[in-house]
This record gives sequence, structure tokens and C-alpha cells, in this order.
Amino acid sequence: MSVLKYFDLYFKLISAGVRAQLQYRFAFVMRIVGLITSYTGTAVTMWIMLYQFQELGSWTFYEMLFLFAVAVLSWGFCIILFFHFRGLDTYILNGTFDRFLVRPINPFFHFMAMKFDVASFGQFIFSIGIFIWVSFELQLDWTIGKSFFLLLSVVGGILIQGGLLVIISALAFWTTKSEQFYWVAMFPARNLTNYPLVIYPKAVQWFTAFVIPFGFVNYFPAAVLLEKETPFFPENIGYYSPLVGIVFFAIAYYIWMLGLKRYKSTGS
Amino acid sequence: MPIIEVEHLMKDFMIAKRETGFLGAVKSLVKREHIKKEAVKDISFSIKEGEMVGYIGPNGAGKSTTIKMLTGILVPSSGSVKVNGIIPYENRQENAKNIGVVFGQRTQLWWDLPTIESFELLKEIYQVSDKRFKENMDTFTEILGLDEFLNTPVRQLSLGQRMRADIAASLLHDPQILFLDEPTIGLDVVAKEKMRTFIKEINNERKITVILTTHDMEDIEKLCERMILIDHGQKVYDGEIAVVKERFGKTRTLIVDLEESPHNLQLKGGEAFKEEASRFWIRFNRDEVSASELIAQITQTHNIKDLTVEEPAIESIISRIYQEGYQDLPEIVKV
Amino acid sequence: MFRFRLYWTFTKKAFLRSAVYRFDVWSRLGSNLIFLLMWGSIWTALYAGREEAGGVSFESMLTYIVVSQFLSGVNGAGTPLWEIQEKVRTGDISLELMRPFDVPLRYLFADFGSVAFYILTALLPLYTVMFIFMDLTLPSAWETWILFIVSAFIGFLIRYCIEMAFGLLSFFLVETGGIVDVFYFAMSLLSGSVIPLWFFPGWLEKMALYLPFQGIYYIPNAIFIGKISGTEILLSLGVQLFWAAASYLLLRFVWNHASQKIVVQGG
Repeated sequence: MSVLKYFDLYFKLISAGVRAQLQYRFAFVMRIVGLITSYTGTAVTMWIMLYQFQELGSWTFYEMLFLFAVAVLSWGFCIILFFHFRGLDTYILNGTFDRFLVRPINPFFHFMAMKFDVASFGQFIFSIGIFIWVSFELQLDWTIGKSFFLLLSVVGGILIQGGLLVIISALAFWTTKSEQFYWVAMFPARNLTNYPLVIYPKAVQWFTAFVIPFGFVNYFPAAVLLEKETPFFPENIGYYSPLVGIVFFAIAYYIWMLGLKRYKSTGS
Repeated sequence: MPIIEVEHLMKDFMIAKRETGFLGAVKSLVKREHIKKEAVKDISFSIKEGEMVGYIGPNGAGKSTTIKMLTGILVPSSGSVKVNGIIPYENRQENAKNIGVVFGQRTQLWWDLPTIESFELLKEIYQVSDKRFKENMDTFTEILGLDEFLNTPVRQLSLGQRMRADIAASLLHDPQILFLDEPTIGLDVVAKEKMRTFIKEINNERKITVILTTHDMEDIEKLCERMILIDHGQKVYDGEIAVVKERFGKTRTLIVDLEESPHNLQLKGGEAFKEEASRFWIRFNRDEVSASELIAQITQTHNIKDLTVEEPAIESIISRIYQEGYQDLPEIVKV
Repeated sequence: MFRFRLYWTFTKKAFLRSAVYRFDVWSRLGSNLIFLLMWGSIWTALYAGREEAGGVSFESMLTYIVVSQFLSGVNGAGTPLWEIQEKVRTGDISLELMRPFDVPLRYLFADFGSVAFYILTALLPLYTVMFIFMDLTLPSAWETWILFIVSAFIGFLIRYCIEMAFGLLSFFLVETGGIVDVFYFAMSLLSGSVIPLWFFPGWLEKMALYLPFQGIYYIPNAIFIGKISGTEILLSLGVQLFWAAASYLLLRFVWNHASQKIVVQGG
């Protein structure tokens, strides 16, 4: 099948997914409310924290909000595109995964196109609101170059976090578990990166820069945009964010395909 | 020229041994022992175009493992599979265009969308032309009565409606081979009959090769001329159903409920092969002795409360084969 | 009549069952540690070398966070909110209504079992090591230890009743997203689990003090690090008991409505 045909198919599949989701209108609204509530909760926590202390590792409240908003924005896209990957184990356990394997299209593509969670609309409202507020407070000068860089690093962030979701789902091919890995590893790790990495022990910083490159999701790009220092790391390392995203996602895709191959030889 | 060729097909799985008790649980954290399980060991068969074959066997016999290898979901440990000239596990997507698959217990339709939308999406996935799609939809709508629920979300369909929609969905892209895994499971008598008529029709008119796994022997009896019986990963019978019926058709079972429960029941021409409290199952060959003769024999010494004579349906033949093992029945083992 | 032996079997069964799901134990411990790392780092950075802030020494603050993380391990080892919701959706809870026991109590006693297993095999060894190797303050009086344990236990009961009540809301709502997130927010912030109430802005501190959540983390933590002492402790325990009773009534209220709904509409 040609790439163009795949694009066409992708839009048809996701629009079906969106229509399916919109059948449950109340649930849809509640989810948006829920997402906004929980992000506001984190922001309020940050505010209280800095109410007494003013600074966290040389980051002020508004700078931290900015850092957080970058993460929320790319995570919002990630929820839309990849969040359902974490549930691959359920598909395998109840046998519905085989459905993706009896059809004449790429199973990764098919699985990815199966859901398109538009409820993360709430995240966009939240993060864009924060961007406007913070830009005003910190008097950020949004040049075209900076806006473009923000856009690119959001893409990088989507690929990095999406890649990790893909890797987590691939674990189901070996261990028949994936959802749990998300809650054990990725959920806490995401929380970790809501705060500037500089406050963590060096080993953790190094790990989040070069092993699971969460640092490139928000910390490094935000440091570039806010002109903040990133101790222990080269200046402007944030510019590599899109590249890191592409490489990491490619690795993730490879691991997923490897897992699929294993699934096809063990059937579980 | 056979459309499906399977030769010396084998599939092993490694399964983790479950440790018991608290220490076992701790131990299995560090080290897990694995046992090799041969789900399919050395199965060969070939199926001609347009055939309708019942692929049956008890749970865990290796039925679905075989089907998974034929559809390209699983890679065999050894042996060869060819479906329509294609090796499914090497060329899964090509193979997928030629086959239709229905899993009776799991729908492949979009749960929350009106049924028609699933068809439209499958049309895109299989790249069915507009013309062919319309023709097929018209045919299926007519035979299967799809129009009564085309605009209903799949989750609201009755099981019978869902199965009809599922089978139509599997045929949209004109596959040459159709795999039906328990297509009548859970359906009521009327819905089962409808389903069977439809399967028969598409097999006749479209010359689609059908492979059917089922626990409902009536499906096999009404649909297939040939059956492949497997157990413990091996083929134990492959041949015409008529032969089996002919061979065992003469055997009947008389079931009697007696007022008292004697230790044993000795009868001339009949053999009590099972007993439960005061109920006896007596097998006899109707060429040698009639049911009334047997009953007369019993009434001489016992009082009969109730009785039935069981038909030699393929169902009871198969269950007899399962119960007694195959080694006692060398005549029918035609591997 | 309260049939203790019956409920005790649920505790025993849950204890043994936890042994089978070892992966759960390790994974929970793993995420608990990541969060400990996170909050430890955050507070270290906030103090930024200062000896004390807001009248609390850095050492005490770090202890507060470690104890808080320990308690969040304890509270997280029971049946989680999403699992209750799942059981409501699948009808498991409706089915249990036919059994001759009280369902909320049955889950509470089962939670005792799984929590005990988790404490004994994972939390206690780990946190003991942590207290040995880190510069943390331990209560010197044995009475404080007892009061801490009592307070933590009451906190556990408050948390259980509120979480169960929220979980049972699934009987009435298809999607509980927003409401559940409010619950999690209250659980993490208003309970003082990550920021002690004394660092809150005045008005928020007052608000938090009038809510039940402080009884789950703040009070036991404050007792442990000696922030409150003497009659203050007794007063706090009284407040906790009040909230335990109130949240139990809330749970009863929700449960009665839920079970009525099952009886009338079949779930």
C-alpha cells in the first residue's frame, strides 16, 4: 500500500474513532474537566511550594509553569496519538490483538490508528492559557525563530514520550504486561520532569538526558527559550530535541516490531 | 491443485511452570522453569478449492494454533504451510487479502459505531472497489437481512445480528478462503440455522473454501462433507463424515433409569458402558439386537422407570471417540 | 452481630494472594521510590542549604517527606480507586451483594491483608534501611511511636472510606474523570502529603485544617517529626476520629444508595 493510501486510511480510521468517542458526550466532557483539574492541581502545588521559597533550583514559579506547560502540550498530542498503546496487554490477553494481524496492513499502523483520544483538547486549553500568561509575566519575546523552535521541540517531545509508550506496549509481547509498566515507570517519570531536572542527583539527570531522554521533552528546550543555564550539560543542548525524538522513536518502533516477531512465534 | 497445503506442521510453546506456595512464588521471581508443550505435532493435510472442511477436536487439541498458522498470526516451529500458494507467516499481508476470518467470540467490528461504518472502514482497509463493495453489500443485505440493523451501533446488536454482520464483514473483500472459528457459538436454534444456510450458500455459489472449527457437531453434520479430527496436536481422522456415520451409524445407545440400582447389568447383545446411580447407558448394534429385545431382557429382572434411545448423531460418535481413545478404533483412523 | 472471624478470613486470603502477585509488590515499590526521590530532591532544592525554614529544620522536613512517602505506600497498597470502579462496571460488586457479608467491610479487611503483606515484605525493610543510612530524625519517646501508629491507622481508615465512596460513584456516573481528579488533588495537596500545611498560605492552611484529608498524612507526619506534641496530639487524634466517623457515614450513605440501585435496577 502506498504512503498516500496509508494517510488516507489513517484519517478514515481516526475519524471513526473520534465519532465513537463522541457518542459518550458526558464522558468526553468529564474527561476534559478531569485533565484540566489535574494539571491545575499540579500548578497549584507548584505555586504553594514557591509561595514560601520563591525559587526551586534557580527556577521561579513562572519559569516552572512554562516548563510544565511545554510538557503538558506535547503530552496532550501524545495522548491523542499513542496513549492507548499502554493497554496492548489487554488486547493480547483477551485475544483481540489477532484482529490486527489478519488484515492486509501494517499492524503497528493499524493499532495506532485505532484510537484518537480527542479529550486531550483539555490539555491544549490548559497549556496555551499558561503560555499566554507566562509570556506576559516574564515578558517573553516570541520571535518567529523561537516560536518555530518551540513547535519543533514539541514534536520532539511527542516522539520521545510516544516512543516510550510504544516501548512499554512492546513489553507486553515478552511479559504479557504493559499497562502496569506505564503506571510504574512512565507515570512517575513524567511527574519527575514536571520540575527542573537540575534539582535531581547527577545520575538521574544523566539518565533522563541519555537513556530515557525525557530531559529533551521540556527541560532542555525550556532552558533554551528562557535562557536558563543547564548545569552539567552543554549550553543549548535543547536544540537537539527534535533529533533525539526521531532517533528515540525509530528505536521504539524497531523494538515493537521485534516484539511482534516474538509474539508471532510464541502466540502470547 | 489444493488451495491449502500443510505438511508436517509443528508448533511448540514454552510455558512457565507455576510454582506453588509462598516459597515457590519467591523462587519463581528469580528463576522460572519452563516446560515444552507441543501444541501441534506433525499435522499434514491438504484442502481443495471449494471444499468445506470441519476442523474439530477437544479444547486444547491444537485447533486454533493450526488456524493461527494458516492465517499468518503464528510462525510454525517446523513444517510447511501454503495457502493459495503463499506462505502465510512470510507474507502475512498478501495472505490476508485472500482470507476472511471470523472469530465467533470476538467481533472484529467497531464496537461503538453504527454497523455500516465498520463495513465502510473494512472497505478501505482491504481496498475494495466501490462497485464490488456495493454488489457485495447488496447481496449480503439481502441474504443476511443486514438492513434491519445497519444503522445500529455494534454494541447494541443481538448476538445473532452481530455474527451475521461479522461474517458479512469477513467476505467483503471476496476472499477465496474463509476461516470460521465457532461461528454459531451462543446462538439460538433459529439463528444457528440461518447462519448455516448462509455459509452453505456462499460455499456453493462463490466456491469459497471454508474451514470451520466448532464444538457444535450439528454444524459439521449439516455443512461439511469432510472432517479433520485432531487431538493432542495430532490428526486422528481425516475423511468423509459419511464414513464415520456409516461405521457407527449402526450403534445406538439405550439409556434406562431403573427403580433399584443393581451392581451390574448383563445383557445379551448389549453392553452397559456407563452407569450413574440407577441410570445405565447400554450400547448395542441394531443389526444384532433391537431396542425392544433389550428392554424385554431388562424388564425380566428389573423395573424400568424411564428410557430413551439415543440417535447415532455425529456428536455422540465424536464424544465416544474422545472418551474411549482412538487406539480402540483403528478402522476409522485413516491418517 | 459483627462476625470477626469471617472478615478475618478475607484478611488472611488477601495476605496470601499478595504473595502470588509479586510483580505488583515490586512495581509499586519502584514507583514509590521514584516519588520519594522526586520529593526529596524538591525539598532539598527548596531549602537550598538553609538549616531551617518556617521553624522546621531541614532534617525534620526530609523526615516528613520520607514518612509521608512510607504512608503513601501503605495507603496505596489497598484496592485502588480504579479497581473499585472496574469492579462496579464489571458487576463484581453487585454480585457480592448477594453474599452474607457487608461489602465495604469485606474490602476493608481484604485491604488489611494486602497492606500487611506489602508493609512486611517491602516497605518496612526498605524504609528501615533508609532511616539507618540517611540523616533523619527519629522520635525518641516510645509514646510518640505508638501515637504515630494509631494516627496513621486512623488516617488509613479515613482514606479508605473516602476512596471507596468515590469509587462507588461509578454506580451513578458513567465517567467520573473530573470528580476522581478532584479526589486525587485533595489527596496529594490538601492532605499535606507533599507540602506540610504550615507552608501553605494562611487561608489555604485554614481551609485544609477544616477538611478530612489532613488526617491522612499531615497529622501522623507532624506527630512523627514532633511538630505537634502533648495535648495538641490528643486534640489532633480527636479531629482524626471525628473525620473517620464522618467519612464512614459518607461511605455508608453512598453504599446504601448504590445497593438500593442494584436491588431496584439490577446494577
